[in-house]
Amino acid sequence: MKLNRRLLLSFDWLWFLALLLLTVVGLTGIWSTTAGTNLSYHLGRQLIYLCLSLVVFLVLLYFDYHVYTDYIVFAYATGIAVLGLVLVVGHTVHANKSWLDLGIVGFQPSELMKVLVIVALAKYYSETERDYLEVPELLTGGLIALGPMVLVMLQGDLGTAITFVPIYAGLSFLGGLRRKHVLALLLAGALVLPAGWMMLKDYQKGRVLTLLNPSSDPRGLGYQSQQSKIAIGSGGFLGKGFKQGTQGQLGFLPARHTDFVFAVLSEERGFLGSITLLGLLLFVSIRLLRASREAKDKVGSMIVMGVFSLFLFHVLINTGMVMGLVPIAGIPLPFVSAGGSSLMASFAAMGLSMNVNTRRFVN
Amino acid sequence: MVKLQLESNRQAIQRRLKWLFPPVVAVFILLGMRLWWLQILQGAEYARLAEQNRIRSIPVVAPRGPILDRDRVPLVDNRPSLDIIIDREMMKNPAATAAFVTQKLGVSADDFAAQLRRNKRGGSYHPIVIKEDVGIGDVSVVEAHKRERPEIRLEPRPRRLYRFGSLAAHVLGRVGEVSEEDLANNTFPGIQSGDFVGKSGVERVYNQCLLGQNGVREVLVDSLGRELGKVAEKDAVIGGDLQLTLDYDLQSQAESLLAGNVGAIVAMDPRNGEILAMAGAPSFDPNKFSSRISTKDWNALIENPDRPLLNRAVQNTYPPGSIFKLVMAETGLDEGFVDASTHVICKGSAVFYDRVFHCWVEGGHGYVDLEGAITHSCNIFFYTLGQRMGIEPIARHAKALGFGELTGVDLPGEQPGVVPSPEWKQQMRGEKWFAGETISVSIGQGPIRATPLQVLRAVSAIATDGKLVTPHLLLHAERGPAPSQWPVAQLPIKPESARRIRAGMWGSVNNYGTGHNAEIRGLDICGKTGTVQLISAERKKEMQKDLPAVETHAWFAGFASRDDPEIAVVVFLEHGGGGGAAAAPMAREVFRTYFAKKYHPELTSQGDAHAPGGEAR
Repeated sequence: MKLNRRLLLSFDWLWFLALLLLTVVGLTGIWSTTAGTNLSYHLGRQLIYLCLSLVVFLVLLYFDYHVYTDYIVFAYATGIAVLGLVLVVGHTVHANKSWLDLGIVGFQPSELMKVLVIVALAKYYSETERDYLEVPELLTGGLIALGPMVLVMLQGDLGTAITFVPIYAGLSFLGGLRRKHVLALLLAGALVLPAGWMMLKDYQKGRVLTLLNPSSDPRGLGYQSQQSKIAIGSGGFLGKGFKQGTQGQLGFLPARHTDFVFAVLSEERGFLGSITLLGLLLFVSIRLLRASREAKDKVGSMIVMGVFSLFLFHVLINTGMVMGLVPIAGIPLPFVSAGGSSLMASFAAMGLSMNVNTRRFVN
Repeated sequence: MVKLQLESNRQAIQRRLKWLFPPVVAVFILLGMRLWWLQILQGAEYARLAEQNRIRSIPVVAPRGPILDRDRVPLVDNRPSLDIIIDREMMKNPAATAAFVTQKLGVSADDFAAQLRRNKRGGSYHPIVIKEDVGIGDVSVVEAHKRERPEIRLEPRPRRLYRFGSLAAHVLGRVGEVSEEDLANNTFPGIQSGDFVGKSGVERVYNQCLLGQNGVREVLVDSLGRELGKVAEKDAVIGGDLQLTLDYDLQSQAESLLAGNVGAIVAMDPRNGEILAMAGAPSFDPNKFSSRISTKDWNALIENPDRPLLNRAVQNTYPPGSIFKLVMAETGLDEGFVDASTHVICKGSAVFYDRVFHCWVEGGHGYVDLEGAITHSCNIFFYTLGQRMGIEPIARHAKALGFGELTGVDLPGEQPGVVPSPEWKQQMRGEKWFAGETISVSIGQGPIRATPLQVLRAVSAIATDGKLVTPHLLLHAERGPAPSQWPVAQLPIKPESARRIRAGMWGSVNNYGTGHNAEIRGLDICGKTGTVQLISAERKKEMQKDLPAVETHAWFAGFASRDDPEIAVVVFLEHGGGGGAAAAPMAREVFRTYFAKKYHPELTSQGDAHAPGGEAR
């Protein structure tokens, strides 16, 4: 396999630039909120992870994506095994047993498992020659997503576990859903979910809510959401300036360098900054959609679609949460929030998507 | 065929992806609109909320105004102190906080729980005081654990300092946390739960004059409530001065005279009602109330049978005894029952309405006119006069002289006393008035009741030809709502009547009368003694033993000088013995102190004008 000129020419530099911009913006947010505090190691760690992530990105970009799809069964099985291992020997952070201690850096295998599930599911769905999926295929695909999801859930990380749902939904949508299947699924969901919720006892409901929201709210429901809205709103049009955001700097924002980094940036950069950030995220989303459409084969489209679903889910839930539109859940903003595993998984997923995109003309 | 299948497959995928574009763009537009709403449309409101978040307003309690005597000697001011408080907003782990408070600060678990319970209704931003007026030990414990326990803080609070301890405690009063009752009645406008207010005395009456304006300190805080710096500060403004009519020297003299007794001494300017001294015994130390009083101290005050919190000068009533003979004399003179020739022959006892009544001198006083009857406190003269007049004019004149009604003094809890009359008896007991009862009332016994201050006010009216003053303690309030005028009523007492009564009172002190123990040579002191029988002599004999508890009450009321009255004094001793023996010498010392300070420094070194009198009454 040679890296020829044609490949370099069809590499979408603008897309890559957008990813780098998002990361840099995230770094300024992390810097702003953690410099001079006991969280200051986060910036350095994020930079180390960025370098590692770029390596992963280049590796995943370099080889033809069919190489990965060929070995996916083995990779997926390994992933499941590692998740199982984490369950036994992993250590606990914020009551989530999802971390694997790898010497200097801790690592969350569940983040990379998302990418593996995307490829596995894409590979499986693309093998059918029909332009829609039958029930047995949907069920098998469901199992591919459900396996890791259950393992991650057992680790106590419900926030990450839930992200397997949009991957499955996005790929199934692209694989083709019969209307009756959708209706049946919606109906079943509408019946089972509330009934299941009703059967839970109050403390169990509380537990589910706390799982969805790991940095649980010590001052009553709505406090974090309110503080986040105050941070964003008080930024006004131009923002309070770098390191001038009182909500972020004085600690009124929870998880300010991770899940709530969007609020920090909105406070310090104002509407101008936050709308630009939102524009970058939209740009990446559209690029993904286009890449999926322009992919030269079905498995390529499927891979990019999976990445798109994962990305969009993270973006919508995270921004919706900080703007007080959806309940608080521990879901980071891709490329922007501090967090090495998340950054690495995001770059890996984008590496795959740009791999597909770069090779859209190559035969 | 395969190729075609693939092509249709591809088309389906293309179609589905195409559908996705509009909703994705729409969702982002929605998010953008939300940002517009939050940052542009609601930006100002959220900016305000962010400010509110990071700026905490800490109230700074203002010191109450100082209380001064008439010469501006400070009687009450303030001292700085520290309280330990808990900020519930910052209390992350109540169990750990409770453990710290009980183990390191020595607050009992019960007290702490009770304090939390008491403040449950208030907002969590409202700090709770867990230990008041702490010493250096507790201060260093709190300072040392600032980081682990940010919810526990020290808060400065000025505390009331009564410079002379129990001096004038009944007049000055005490302070304490405002009661639920006062809050419900809105007794003190603008006062909130937890604030300190006057609980008694002038601290209470002039609370609004003494209140300062609380300041506020705005500090920058982080989300853990740690102070990062000061933003703005509005200083607390101390309350206004309150200058009282009290004279420190006279007051302390009166209190040392009373030491060991149960009773009251009041000195007043009879011309305008300014109270120069008001002492009560036993007394208490109001400093003990400046912080939350300990249960032990409180119980000691409450369970003391002599009731140290009671201001006997105004809050309790007693039979006025022979001092009431002055009212009888005034009534008799002004109603025309007594003229220059009116007299009785006192044989030591007489029969009225088929009952034998005794004079206090077994052999009798012989020939007595009005002046003599006052000078020697002859019972028979006044029995006779009472029988002649009947109860109606007596009650009418007693009321006119201020008995049976509030004097209007600026102190809380004043009692009106009782002037018995047929209507009163009908109303209170549903019984008819018996003429025989008038005989007892004629010498101030029976159901008649008066406060020492009422007695003093009536005697002052005699001294000033009928000026009925409003006794008061306020000389000048720097600030706030306070009366500036104290009404003085002119009673229709004929000057000649008043002169004759004064002549009798002068004789009592200066002409071998019952009040001779009050004499100071050179000062024309006028006075009248009173000795209240709590149990009749006959009954005492029956019981065959002396009960100390039934010892007589001793009274002396007088003024000086006769022709230019400027000070009136009443001495009352509960179970203190005879008025002439026990009360009159105390009054003399009050007069001596007053005149020594004002005109005659040499008086202080002068010995007693008389040897202590034996059996005089």
